[in-house]
Amino acid sequence: MQEDAPILEVKDLWKTYDNGVAALRGVSFTVRRGEFLGVIGLSGSGKSTLLRCINRLVEPSSGSIRFGGAEVTAMGGKDLSAARQRIGMVFQHFNLVKRKSVLTNVLTGRLGAVGTWRSIAGRFSPEERARAAELLGIVGLGDKGDVRASELSGGQQQRVAIARSLMQRPDLLLADEPVASLDPSTSHSVMRYLEQANQEFGVTILCNLHFLSLVRQYTTRVIALQAGQIVYEGSPQEIDEAWFRRIYGEEAKEVRIQ
Amino acid sequence: MKPLPDARAQHTDRVRRAHGAARWRAALLDGLLAWYILGGTVWFLRWWTHPPAVSGGAPEAFSPALHLGLLVGGVLLGLLWSSIRTSPGRMAVARTTPLLRGDAPKPAGGFWRTWHGRAVLYALALTLGLGLRITQVDLYALFSREGLAGARRIFEALAQPNLSIAGVVFDKMVETIFVALMATVAAVPVAFVLSFAAARNLSRHSAGAMALYSLVRFLANLTRSIEPVLWAIIFSVWVSFGPFGGMLALFVHSVASLIKLYSEQIESVDTGPIEAIEATGAGRLQTIWYAVVPQVVLPYLSYTIYRWDINVRMATIIGLVGGGGVGELLMQYFGLGRYNEVGTIVLFITAVVWTMDWLSAKVREAIA
Ligand SMILES: Nc1ncnc2c1ncn2[C@@H]1O[C@H](COP(=O)(O)OP(=O)(O)O)[C@@H](O)[C@H]1O
Ligand SMILES: [Mg+2]
Repeated sequence: MQEDAPILEVKDLWKTYDNGVAALRGVSFTVRRGEFLGVIGLSGSGKSTLLRCINRLVEPSSGSIRFGGAEVTAMGGKDLSAARQRIGMVFQHFNLVKRKSVLTNVLTGRLGAVGTWRSIAGRFSPEERARAAELLGIVGLGDKGDVRASELSGGQQQRVAIARSLMQRPDLLLADEPVASLDPSTSHSVMRYLEQANQEFGVTILCNLHFLSLVRQYTTRVIALQAGQIVYEGSPQEIDEAWFRRIYGEEAKEVRIQ
Repeated sequence: MKPLPDARAQHTDRVRRAHGAARWRAALLDGLLAWYILGGTVWFLRWWTHPPAVSGGAPEAFSPALHLGLLVGGVLLGLLWSSIRTSPGRMAVARTTPLLRGDAPKPAGGFWRTWHGRAVLYALALTLGLGLRITQVDLYALFSREGLAGARRIFEALAQPNLSIAGVVFDKMVETIFVALMATVAAVPVAFVLSFAAARNLSRHSAGAMALYSLVRFLANLTRSIEPVLWAIIFSVWVSFGPFGGMLALFVHSVASLIKLYSEQIESVDTGPIEAIEATGAGRLQTIWYAVVPQVVLPYLSYTIYRWDINVRMATIIGLVGGGGVGELLMQYFGLGRYNEVGTIVLFITAVVWTMDWLSAKVREAIA
């Protein structure tokens, strides 16, 4: 794979849900390696659907998604599992397995690469355990490995989720409103870990965000969705008052997160 | 390819097919209702014209020809009836089919004001009348002098239990509890495995899984709808009378019940972790093991204890038809008319059921 080849190419992507809602209507964009791409738009504009199509948690209706040159929409079974292993995902509600320990949650990031029976017996290798512990240290939770995930605060759970996705050694990380259920200061701490993953580990990031201030501070480029279509693509700094109104509607006022 | 019109067309197509299927279900419902109203009314008319020989008794039974006539009449009326948009069947189906709910007709003044609604009310009144007549409700028998004397005799005997047989009763009680325990313990692993196949949310992904889902659901529902007492009768023929037959009967019924309880638990799990684990590239088994199982083990445990509790009660009943344990003993003494001994057994059963009830509530509380 060439260094300058795009890591992700989405072409004319459509998604119509079973109930007839057309969530994506011909979305096309390209992501280069190392980018931190923000995705903004009103709630219901199709941001989550877009991210979930990329790792096929949602089946696209038509169009093309090329990840590292390979067509994701055509993949099945082993191919899809292999692609998913290289695409991490972080969710708004963290989606940890609450009754399991923090360390086990991080280790689940490796499930795709571990044999079914070995993983069910819980026999992860010493290297895998060491790597999980190291990642927990990186997200500042080195001492929480044995704690049940449910005992952590929201911000801590999201950091565990980031560690879980980094356990996959992903090329691409999809973050679906990762800070939408966190308070402002916690939001920044979580965003900084994503930034670190992007800058230090070279993980390309696609991040749905609600607040423009976070978009301006952390992303390198931004696309805006409206009713399933891209209405803006460019630098986060260039989103002015006029663009803001186009994306969020005439009545909208920007709220800042400190 | 134009995906949008395509998907829209698919949607309207689904709605059209749903309408088609709904018509048949509506015809079935309307047919049942028409048959019931017809049959019930004829029953009362005949009771009027040919009064039963014994006062309070049942009228002469319907002849096969009459039965056939009523059935055919019901079917034809049902077909006719369901061709009207506001028939009871059409209304019920339209309101319970998600795809069609928006199109459900709203009769002016409400359903109960239409003659369709009145027909349903008539059927309800008919049910009350039939119920009183068919069960031969007889307040005289309940409160007559002879009746009350009988009640006094048995209550007096029950209140003076013969404690000299306590040892035997105790042994048989232990047998009953173990029959219930073994049936529960053996049912758990079977139900555990099958419950994953019987959960809709884990089966949607492929046609094969969906077929397995339907099969397991069907068999479980069928098995569950046969009461444990009937299973006990079946197994008493199969492995002969005794605790083993009783255990098998409870086992079969427990598997089916636990599949239902377990799979409903699976269907209500948080889907977030499932998606998160799937997104890491994990396989299906791994996803189930890491994202689903941790969410259901405690509820499973609680259901299992609850089931054991139920099984202890059922084991006593099963004993009545030869499934071993204390129920069998009760039946023997009852047959001999030895009500003091029956009283002893009732005392034991009550004590054990109360204790189990309390214990299972406590344990479930502790693990919740
Ligand atoms: N599973 C689903 N089934 C049907 N419609 C859905 C589903 N998920 C999302 N939608 C619809 O698709 C549209 C886009 O939703 P979503 O992608 O969640 O937007 P966002 O993340 O920007 O809020 C909305 O109208 C939403 O109601
Ligand atoms: Mg969303």
